[in-house]
Amino acid sequence: MIIEIGHFSTIVALVLSVFGMASSALALRTRNPDWARAGRMAVTLIFFLLSAGMLSLVYSFITRDFSVLYVANNSNTKLPFFYTVAAVWGGHEGSLLLWVFILSLFSTLAVWLHWKTQPAIMPYLIAVECAVMFGFLALIVFLSSPYERLIPVPADGKDLNPLLQDPAMVMHPPMLYMGYVGFSIPFSFAMAALFSGRLGEEWIKVTQRWTTFAWMCLTTGILLGGYWAYYELGWGGYWGWDPVENASFMPWLVGTAYLHSVLVQEKRKMFKVWNLFLIIVTFSLSLIGTFLVRSGVLTSVHTFATDPERGLYILLFVGTIIGIAFGALIVRSAKLKSQIEMDSLVSRESIFLFNNLFFLVAAATVFLGTLYPLMIETLQGAKVTVGPPYYNAVFMPIALGLLFLMGIGPYIPWRKASVANLKKSFSTPLMAGTAMVIILLITGITSLYALAGGYVVAFAAMAMGMDFGKVSQLYAQRNKTNIVQGFLSAFTANQRRYSSLITHIGVLVLVVGIIASTIYQTEKVVSLKVGDEFTIGDYRMKLDKIHEVEGGNWHAQEGVFTVYEGDTLITELRPQKRIYPQTQTPTTESAIHAINMGHIFLTMPEVSEDGVAVARGVLNPLILWVWGGGGIMGLGVILNILRPRKKDE
Amino acid sequence: MMIRAALLLLILFTFLPSVFADEVGETALDVQVREIAKTLRCTVCQTENIWESGAPLAKQMRDAIRERLELGQTEPEIRAYFLSRYGDYILMEPPKHGVNWLIWVAPFILLLVGGFFLYKEVVHWVKDTPTPPTQPLQPLDDQARKRLERELES
Amino acid sequence: MNKGWQITLILVLFGLFALFYQGLWGDPRHIPTVLIGTPAATFEGPDVETGQTISLDQFKGKVVLLNFWASWCYECKVEHEDILRLHQAFKDNPDFVMLGVNYQDKLPDAQKYLKDFGTTFSHVRDVKGQLAIDYGVYGVPETFVIDKEGIIRFKYVGPVMGPVYTNLTEHVIRPLLNSQPLASTPS
Repeated sequence: MIIEIGHFSTIVALVLSVFGMASSALALRTRNPDWARAGRMAVTLIFFLLSAGMLSLVYSFITRDFSVLYVANNSNTKLPFFYTVAAVWGGHEGSLLLWVFILSLFSTLAVWLHWKTQPAIMPYLIAVECAVMFGFLALIVFLSSPYERLIPVPADGKDLNPLLQDPAMVMHPPMLYMGYVGFSIPFSFAMAALFSGRLGEEWIKVTQRWTTFAWMCLTTGILLGGYWAYYELGWGGYWGWDPVENASFMPWLVGTAYLHSVLVQEKRKMFKVWNLFLIIVTFSLSLIGTFLVRSGVLTSVHTFATDPERGLYILLFVGTIIGIAFGALIVRSAKLKSQIEMDSLVSRESIFLFNNLFFLVAAATVFLGTLYPLMIETLQGAKVTVGPPYYNAVFMPIALGLLFLMGIGPYIPWRKASVANLKKSFSTPLMAGTAMVIILLITGITSLYALAGGYVVAFAAMAMGMDFGKVSQLYAQRNKTNIVQGFLSAFTANQRRYSSLITHIGVLVLVVGIIASTIYQTEKVVSLKVGDEFTIGDYRMKLDKIHEVEGGNWHAQEGVFTVYEGDTLITELRPQKRIYPQTQTPTTESAIHAINMGHIFLTMPEVSEDGVAVARGVLNPLILWVWGGGGIMGLGVILNILRPRKKDE
Repeated sequence: MMIRAALLLLILFTFLPSVFADEVGETALDVQVREIAKTLRCTVCQTENIWESGAPLAKQMRDAIRERLELGQTEPEIRAYFLSRYGDYILMEPPKHGVNWLIWVAPFILLLVGGFFLYKEVVHWVKDTPTPPTQPLQPLDDQARKRLERELES
Repeated sequence: MNKGWQITLILVLFGLFALFYQGLWGDPRHIPTVLIGTPAATFEGPDVETGQTISLDQFKGKVVLLNFWASWCYECKVEHEDILRLHQAFKDNPDFVMLGVNYQDKLPDAQKYLKDFGTTFSHVRDVKGQLAIDYGVYGVPETFVIDKEGIIRFKYVGPVMGPVYTNLTEHVIRPLLNSQPLASTPS
């Protein structure tokens, strides 16, 4: 009964999304604000109806109502309570519902938050949001409904994919979707600007926090995905350049370009068309990502094999939205006089342009790599693999270029920088880079990537540090306080700038973590019996025993390893080889010990019948910097969003 | 005395296991198998190499690599063997020949071409813009400081 | 945006959606084999039921159909009846041989499978998985046809049934059976 309420609510929401489009069209035609208000009501109601839909699904999972097909396919009686909620978005249908639910939440928030200040924009906003919701709701209602019943009712359900039974995976999809969907708000405002012809800076200022928020969610979602892969997939890495990962990385790259490029328009009123282009590309890539993941066009560990009909529908819908968006951009841009004033090639605005170039090339690289197998298959009928070695090789130079620009951009003035000033600002950072290379060489590090990375990171860090130092001193002098207080007052006086710089520091930390844990990873795989030991790096691991462990919905063979450094006992590691009997899926659960900012990562992928275990030890130096860097980035973005409002915002 | 005995026992217990334990390690062969396995794709598991994959086929492929190494085959020979059975698909990256060069050089061509056009555009814009009157450098008075702060507000 | 950029943008979008559309109809798991037209790797292994050694060399000069299967494979059960029907249709031809290859399986499971579902031809066990790698197999069921000169002529991934069955029997096996082997000297 409950699930039917959810089903019915979703159908009503679909109808209301059509009504929302119609009423906003009427609002624009008749100029009667009542129609706009009706549209606002429709959006709000859609949110409540979809909440009911989500809740009905959550309820069915919690009560283990296996008469619901989706519940029976994605959970069973033994699934822990915590994961029953996550199972709501564990499958295809539920994750689509989550997508549109978040969209309705954001649309409602946007409509109510900006109603007073942006009355003229509202009908456009409502129409665009309703159109996107309509597309997803029609897909849910007609082609992939999570509300379908299953008759006869099975005694027990199948299981949630064991790989998805992980705390990081519970949060990963919602964060990712909040990122994708969050970009729909600036996208809608951009569309409103295009349709209404109000192409000033207003839409950018209004959506600035939305953009930052969406970017934060997307970043967090991607990092959580990496964290999940690291802990759950058991090969000791966190990023596999899998098509599904790429699908989330592409909007991130273009979104990041957009995030920077809008600053130029805010400050210097330039690049209007360019920013419209970037936000359309960002949101299009979010939609294309959904298409790629949900249609089965690309093979991936995660892809759900689906029928082409569903894929065709998503393609049509996504194509329509993207086609209309670019069409509007092309039509409008012809009329837009570019009012570009550039004083110098050496200026912050020009650095931003090159930043954009690098981000776009990075995105194009990922895009090309992801679609290349499809292209080759279509054109030549052959199959190729574009795997991590390719991306690592071509991506590194681009990423290093971006980091270098990150070291320059924020410290170069708008409009024009004199060469003398440049020398003054950047000679110390350049020296810091050289010094870092020398230090690395002395410590025996010879990898070209590590050296180049070290140079660029040291350069950017020094430029950043000098800037912080100089400004803190300035404020300390003026307020006659010490330098720490000076720093704090500088920060509060200009929270937007300095919170962004915190995010940049996070990026540097992250990059150091990535370089160290990629290039200097050591691994060893051995076969051993109880009582045997093996050495990896400075650590000695001894297999004390192998025993059986029971979990709620799994059982496992657990190896108990004691880890020594020299002769000191450091810790005990218990990797498991699990079986989830319901689906007969084996998983390898890694055991991890953090030491010196790095990880000792141990898995036990095999245990033979005569008690010989295969153990795989991996040392990941500085891997904590990857997660730590992500955390710092998040802190910077939160401080950015929470900054006090200024008069002109 | 008691303490010393306890310490002795503690030391004994810490050292004893390591005295009797058998140290197992990787042979050169193991390392070779790994190096080759990392370049080959597990054909059933999508974008995972046969080293990282837990699939049974991946394990058999690793065993096949080991067997061939034991027979004295070289790394290129073994890779060529897998290539002859599965085609380019088995390699973790597009082999650098023919049309595949496109994907290897595309990012850098994009960067160069994009950079060239961008440079030309920017130079063009700069030329079109009347240069603002240059201000002479002054010591940091109050006004300049304020301007500096405004500049930094970005 | 000038004309050039507009046209580029439109072309890119069109190309992209054409590619996606085309991609929808392809099977992402389909891998074209590079083995067609190459000599079939020889092998030997124990018979699943009797344990006697079976070798591909025994069947030189004949058309050999290899069918890779496993007891845990669902699609193998789906095609099983058609596979038996196929054997029935050609078994009287002295130039035709059909061999099952049991892949990644436990022997008792495989024997039970054959007992439960019945069989009319021999099955060789791929003990180490080497045979499967030699034939570029990545999943079961897979079906190969080797001609009288020992060249692989056909490969299909997935259950042999419906149009695939007709194509295999009428356009692959029959013509191969009718063709005379070139004067190859048995060595």
